[in-house]
Amino acid sequence: MTAYDVLRSEWGKFHSIRATLGCLAGALAATAAYGYLFGLADARRYLAGSAADRAAFDPTDTGFRALVLAGVLVSAVGVLAVTSEYASGTMPVSVAAVPRRGLLLGGKAAVVAVVTLVAGPPMALVSFTLSQLSLAARNVPSAGLGDPGVLGAVAGAGLFTGLVGLYGVALGFLLRRSAGAVSLGTFLLILPGMASLFPDAMAEWIVVWWPSAAGARVFAVHPGSGGLAPLVGIGVLAATVLALLCVAAAVFRARDV
Amino acid sequence: MIEIRGLTKRYGDVTAVDGLSFDVRPGVVTGFLGPNGAGKTSTMRMILGLDRPTSGSATIGGRRYADLPTPLREVGALLDAHAVHPYRSAGKHLLALARGNGIGRRRVDEVLGLVGLADVAGRRPGGFSLGMKQRLGIAAALLGDPGVVLLDEPVNGLDPEGIRWIRSLTRDLASEGRTVLLSSHLMSEMALTADHLVVVGRGRLLADTGLDAFVRSAARETVVVRTPGARPLAALLEEAGATVRPGAGDELLVTGVSGATVGDVAGAHGIVLHELTPQRASLEEAYLELTGGSADFASAGARPATPAETQATTASMTTSGAAR
Repeated sequence: MTAYDVLRSEWGKFHSIRATLGCLAGALAATAAYGYLFGLADARRYLAGSAADRAAFDPTDTGFRALVLAGVLVSAVGVLAVTSEYASGTMPVSVAAVPRRGLLLGGKAAVVAVVTLVAGPPMALVSFTLSQLSLAARNVPSAGLGDPGVLGAVAGAGLFTGLVGLYGVALGFLLRRSAGAVSLGTFLLILPGMASLFPDAMAEWIVVWWPSAAGARVFAVHPGSGGLAPLVGIGVLAATVLALLCVAAAVFRARDV
Repeated sequence: MIEIRGLTKRYGDVTAVDGLSFDVRPGVVTGFLGPNGAGKTSTMRMILGLDRPTSGSATIGGRRYADLPTPLREVGALLDAHAVHPYRSAGKHLLALARGNGIGRRRVDEVLGLVGLADVAGRRPGGFSLGMKQRLGIAAALLGDPGVVLLDEPVNGLDPEGIRWIRSLTRDLASEGRTVLLSSHLMSEMALTADHLVVVGRGRLLADTGLDAFVRSAARETVVVRTPGARPLAALLEEAGATVRPGAGDELLVTGVSGATVGDVAGAHGIVLHELTPQRASLEEAYLELTGGSADFASAGARPATPAETQATTASMTTSGAAR
């Protein structure tokens, strides 16, 4: 049994069920829809804003916001790749076929990582293009793909979605239930959006350091003074996901299937 | 060859498997028999490395399952026929399992043909009948052409045709020299399939014996005697070491001595016999006698019994069984 055998096996499982593929298609659709809507919303805000607001407006910020929301569906892809095995009762069969559980978890994680990593840049491209079109349609300043840093952010989207997919895999192994893992996964991903509910000091910390917020810095085309540098931010997300995967692997190995 | 040594599994306060030791040898069908909740499935799960034993070990050819380099090529198992993804086609389900053990597509087609599912390879198992799911599960077990086959309650819910198919399949597998362990809670099924029996109750080993020896050891022979001289004969037989109880009418139910001894004693004292019928208990009775009191949810006396009580129950069931 080689890692290659396990990868082929896991790829076969991944692409032969609809729930995971549906989630992936949904994520792409969501980035398109949200990309366009964020464009509309930011255009309204720009047109209603003061001169100072207008001066501070950066259309590239608008371009990738949809990715963070679509991340919810990307993490669900990772969750379902794992929990569909628990739900259908096939996990014992899979573990009997590949008793080296670390290898089994690694195979699943690798398949999800590759799929979600590859899906990221097209999602970013769709989101960016539609958002800039909806800005431009209202004569609000917009950016082009050729602008400095934009293609870097598009490529960086793959890192973001890939890590978010792996985050789903870790939660799937830890919680074993689709509903629980998707709910918790969603809540933790969008927590920075609720930062204003927390005391100021905590809110500031969350907006900067919470892993999903930090990871989204990879989309910052013009990193200003606020927030982490893009690579530091994605590094925070990567470290968190890696830690979660290690815990998931330890739990998966220790637990009866 | 499967070797179980001192295997114990506790789930919290519940001891599912309690110091079990036995071997499963190649070339014969070994029936793994016990009431529901006796620890059969837990034992099989530990053989497959799915559950970790609290203590003891289960090895296959001297190695733990997890240490087998390509486990499906050495051990095939069917634990739960419902364990298929409802939307993943039968063929793809098998192919994914095969790939992980370096087994090719051709073998997948082969086993699908072997179990008679070649025509539905592209269909989703969500719509399969239980019988078809069992066949799919057995196809998965046979993927790697393994030398050891474990089937957990394979005939549950099958129609007579399916039951007969499993029977001949397991016999064939054993006659090819494979090690076959087949669990069931039905003695009647084991009687038709198994050569060797491992009987468990409450996680403990109750018997590890050949099928015939099992019946002989577990059930005592009862001799039914009809005679006009019942009273003197009963006294004479008791002197000879038998236990005698009155049956229906002028019948005597004699246990502890053979039919021949009863005849000898009667003849020596000139007592006329109208009937002398040795009766062997059926397999089902032998089994119930052995496992009596160890069923997890016995219909009477639902409180868990201690080992001593279990023995007492067994003893009392022996007599009540014979008084039939």
